[in-house]
Amino acid sequence: MEEMMCYIPENLEEALAIMDEKDAIALAGGSDLMVSGANGTGVNPSFSRPVVIITNLPELKGIKRHEDGWTEIGALSTSREIAESELVHPLVRKAASQMGAVALRNSATIGGNIANASPKGDTPQPLILLDAEVTLKSVRGERRMKVDDFILGAKKTQLEKGEIITSVLIPPSNLTHCYYRKIGMRRANAISKLTISIGAEVRDGKVVDFRASSGAAGPKVIRSHSSESILIGKTLSELPEYKEEFLDAWNNAISPRAMPEYRRGATRRMLSFFIDALSSGAEEGIIE
Amino acid sequence: MSYTKISDKIERVDARTKARGEAMYVCDMTLPNMLYAYMVRSTCPRGKILKIDVPNLPKGYKFITADDIPQKGNNELWMISKDWRAFAKDYVLYVGETIGLLVGPDRTVLKYLRDNIHIEYEPEEPAVTIDDGIASKGGPMFPEKGNNVFCSLHCEKGRPMEEVFREADEIFEETLETGYQEHVHLETNGAIVTMEDGKFVFYASAQCPFYIRKSIAGLLGISTDDIVVRQCTTGGAFGGKEHFPDVLCGPLLVAENVIRKPIKLIFDREEDTQFSVKRHPSKCVYKTALKDGKIIGMDAKVYYNVGAYLSSSFVVLQRGIFHANGVYNIPSTHLVGEGIGTNTFPTCAFRGFGAPQTIFAVETHMDHIAHHLGVDPLEFKKDYIIKQGEETVTNGHIIEEVKLPEMLDVVTKEADYWRKAKEYTPGCGKGIGISMYLHGGAFTGNGEQAIIKAHARLVRTGDRVRIEVGSTEMGQGFQTTLRKIAANTLQLPIENIDYNNPDTSKVVDSGPTAASRSTMIVGKLVERAAEEMKRRWDEGDITTEVEYEHPEGYPWDQSTFRGDAYLGWGWGVACVEVEVDKLTNEVKTVGIWTSHDIGHPIDELIVHGQVNGGIIQSLGYASMEKLENKNGFFRQKRMSDYVIPTSMDFPRQFYHLQENPYPWGPQGAKGMGELVFNGADAAYVDAVERALGTTFNSIPIPPEDIEEALKKNAQ
Repeated sequence: MEEMMCYIPENLEEALAIMDEKDAIALAGGSDLMVSGANGTGVNPSFSRPVVIITNLPELKGIKRHEDGWTEIGALSTSREIAESELVHPLVRKAASQMGAVALRNSATIGGNIANASPKGDTPQPLILLDAEVTLKSVRGERRMKVDDFILGAKKTQLEKGEIITSVLIPPSNLTHCYYRKIGMRRANAISKLTISIGAEVRDGKVVDFRASSGAAGPKVIRSHSSESILIGKTLSELPEYKEEFLDAWNNAISPRAMPEYRRGATRRMLSFFIDALSSGAEEGIIE
Repeated sequence: MSYTKISDKIERVDARTKARGEAMYVCDMTLPNMLYAYMVRSTCPRGKILKIDVPNLPKGYKFITADDIPQKGNNELWMISKDWRAFAKDYVLYVGETIGLLVGPDRTVLKYLRDNIHIEYEPEEPAVTIDDGIASKGGPMFPEKGNNVFCSLHCEKGRPMEEVFREADEIFEETLETGYQEHVHLETNGAIVTMEDGKFVFYASAQCPFYIRKSIAGLLGISTDDIVVRQCTTGGAFGGKEHFPDVLCGPLLVAENVIRKPIKLIFDREEDTQFSVKRHPSKCVYKTALKDGKIIGMDAKVYYNVGAYLSSSFVVLQRGIFHANGVYNIPSTHLVGEGIGTNTFPTCAFRGFGAPQTIFAVETHMDHIAHHLGVDPLEFKKDYIIKQGEETVTNGHIIEEVKLPEMLDVVTKEADYWRKAKEYTPGCGKGIGISMYLHGGAFTGNGEQAIIKAHARLVRTGDRVRIEVGSTEMGQGFQTTLRKIAANTLQLPIENIDYNNPDTSKVVDSGPTAASRSTMIVGKLVERAAEEMKRRWDEGDITTEVEYEHPEGYPWDQSTFRGDAYLGWGWGVACVEVEVDKLTNEVKTVGIWTSHDIGHPIDELIVHGQVNGGIIQSLGYASMEKLENKNGFFRQKRMSDYVIPTSMDFPRQFYHLQENPYPWGPQGAKGMGELVFNGADAAYVDAVERALGTTFNSIPIPPEDIEEALKKNAQ
C-alpha cells in the first residue's frame, strides 16, 4: 500500500512541469477517474500514477470564436458550458446536453471526455464528424492533431508522458443538414447504447459533402471516408440509387461487439431515414 | 383538543429529516473502538474449496470463518428452513457465497488483505438458468432426489384437465418468462454488532428485526433473548432486507463472539448489486383449452429460479401459484409450481413476492389468446373477471365485492381506451395496453394466526402514547400511517404519538414488515389497542396489548393449500399508452392511468407515493431493468449498467382509488404496498405489442430485445 500523491498547480506552466517530472495523470472534472480509481467507502481511491488536479487552471477555460471561423473550446469547459454556448456546433451541443445527469454535466469536461477515449463517450463522436482537433501541451512544446487521430481505440490515445489536452478546435462547418441521436439505456442520466451524427452539405441539388460518425459501435468512434465518398458528388435524385451501397459499406465499417443486430439495424435505419429525408428535399437544419 | 383524523392530509413524520439529509443511517454510526469487516466471497459458482491462503495478518486483524463457530452452534441461518450456511466450508454453491469475514481497524488494510487472499477451487459445472436446473446440469443438487427441485406444489379446481382438454376444439400454449430484478434500495445493506450487558446487540438496516434474532441465534447455540436487534433508519428495502440482513448479521455474530468489540459491515453499491438476493426469474408454460372461442380450462406449469439456497422461495412460489390465474375465474384449472435450484445467488423476497411473475404471464397469455381470436384484449378478458363468492384456485372464495368493473369504467374513460384501441391499428407505432391484477393481503391462509401470532402494545404517559411494535419504517411511510391510526382512534394530535425504530428488547413482536400486512394487520392491532386505551382513559397511565385474532369461518389447510388463501385482496387496473420509434425501437410512454382498490386509504399522500413508485418500478421491470447471469456471475454490476427508471422515463400518471372498505382492516384499509407493483408491466408489453404488431414472451424488453423479437416474428 503506497501513499497517493496529489498535486494542485496554480497555472498551466506549473501543471506541465509536475506532469513531466512525476509522470502524472491529469484530473479535470474527475467524473471518470474518481469512478475508475474508487476503492469503496472509507478507503482512498488509488491511481497507477501521481495525480495532478488541473480543475482550476484558468488557461484551459472558456469558449471563443477565432477570426478564421474556428471555434476553440478550452479543455476544462464542462458539458453544461458547451451545451449552453451558441459558439459551438449544434451537434456537439446536443451531445453535451445529453451526457449523464445535471451534476455530471456541471463537472465533466470535454478534455476529460476525449482523454478517457471510451467508445461510448458522448462528445468525441460529433467532434470526429466535424474533423475537430485537439491541442496537446507539455514542457516540450505543443502538438495539434485531429480527434480522430488522437483516439486510437478503447481507452487508447496518443497522449504522451507529461501531456495535457489544452483545447479542442472545431473548424467552420458548411453542413446544411444534420442529424443526431443518442440511444441510452434510459431517457436521461444514461451511458450511450448507440450514438450517431450525420451531416450533409447540399448545394444546388448536389451533395457536396456527406459525413457520418457512429459511437458505441466499435472500439472507437467510426468515420468511414470511403463509405462517405459513395454519396459525395451525387445529386439528390441519385441518392436512392446509391443508398443501399452506402448502407452496406457503413455496415461493414462498424464493428459492434455486444448487441450487434440492434446496433447494426438501428444505425442502418437512421442513416436510411436521413438519406431519404435529403432526397425528398428536407429543409436545411437539424432533421428530427 | 383538535386531533388527527384519517382524512387529514398530513406531512410525513420523517419527511424533513430525510429530505434534508439529517436522518442517520447505520453507515453514519460510529462506536468507540469500532472495527470494520469485509466479506470474503466465493468467486467460483460451484466446486470444492481446496485451499485458502491468507496473508500474514497484522496485529488486531482476524479472519473469521466457519471454524470460529463454537461446538454448540450450527453453521446455518434459520429463515424458512435452515439450509443457508453462514460461512461456506469445504465447497461453494454460488459466486458471492460468504467464505469468511476479515475484521480489523483500518479499511485500507482490510481491502489490501481481501485483495490478497487466494482461494483455490476444484470447479464443477454450474447450473445457472432454470433450464440448467431442470436438466440438473453438472449433476443434481439433491443427489437423494436426483434433481434440483427445492420445493413444489399444485392446485386444482373444477374438472380433471384431461377431460377438459379432450373437449377443447383448440389448445393455446405458450411459454412466458421474466428476468431477475435488483431491489436498488437507496441505502445498501449494512449492520453493526456490539456487546452490551453481556448481550449481542445489532444495529441493522432491516425490515424484520425479530427475524434476525431467530435466524442467527443457532450459530452460537444461544437463546434469541441473548440477542438484541435495533433497527436503524432504513433507506429502502423492497423485500431485499427481509431475510438478507441475516446473511450479514450471522457472520458478524460469530466474529463478535471471538472479538468482543464493535464491528461494522457495510456493503458498497457494487457489492450490494452483485452479492445480494434478487427477484426470482420465472418460466411459465400456460396451456389453455378453448371451445367456441371461450376458455374452458387452464393448465400452468410455473418454474422459479431459487438459486443455491431456499431462503423464502417456497413461500414465494406458493404466492406465485395462488395468483397464477390473475383476476380471472377459469372454470377448471391445474397449476403446478416448482422451485428450481441453481448455482446462482439465492433469490428472495421482492415487492410482490412471487405474484408479479405469474400475473405477468397470465395477463400476457390472455392478451395473446385475444389477439389470436381477433378480439380486443380487454373485451375478451372482462368476461372472466372473478366475482364475490366465486371459487379461487385454492378452492376458497372471494369474500369481498370485486369492484374491477367500476374501476375499468374509470380507467377506460380517462384513458379514452376504447377509441384508441380501435384507432391504433397493429403496427402503426402507437399502442395502448391494459392489465388487471390483484394481491392477497398479509400472510397466506391462517398464517397470521398459526405462524406469526402478532402482538401490538400501547403505553400511555400523560397525554403521550407510545406504540411498541416490531414493524419498521423502510420508506413506505409506516411511521406516519401507524401513528395516524393511533391518533385517530385515541383522538389525539399525531404529535402526541411516539413510535421509534424498534428494539427487540423493548417492543412486542408484531411480525415481519412484509407481505403488505403492516397497515392491514398491525394497523388493526394498534387500532384495537387504542380503542381499549380510549375506553379506559380514566384509568391514567396504562398499557394495552392485543394479539391477532383470525375471523371465524374462513378455513385454510397449509398441508394441501386449500381454502381461503386471503381474506382481503387488493385489486388494480393499469392502462399504458406508448409510441415506438421505428428507427431505434425506443419506446416512449405517453400516458399511464391506474385505479386501485385498497379498501380505504389511511393516508392518501403516502398511498399516492406508493402508487407512483410501484407502477414505475413495474414499468422499469418490463422495459429496462435487465440483469443477466453468465456462468454464475451477474453481468450488470453497478447503477450505470443496471438501470432503473428516472422521472424522465415515464409521464405523470392519472391515479384513482376505488373505495371498498375492508371489514377487518383499520378504518377499512387493506394491503397495498405490493399490489401497485403487480401489473403495469403487462399493460406496457400489451401496448408495445399493439404498437408494433408483434408478440413478446419475456420481459424486460429493451430496444435490442424488441429488435430480436421483430426479426423472429417476421420469419
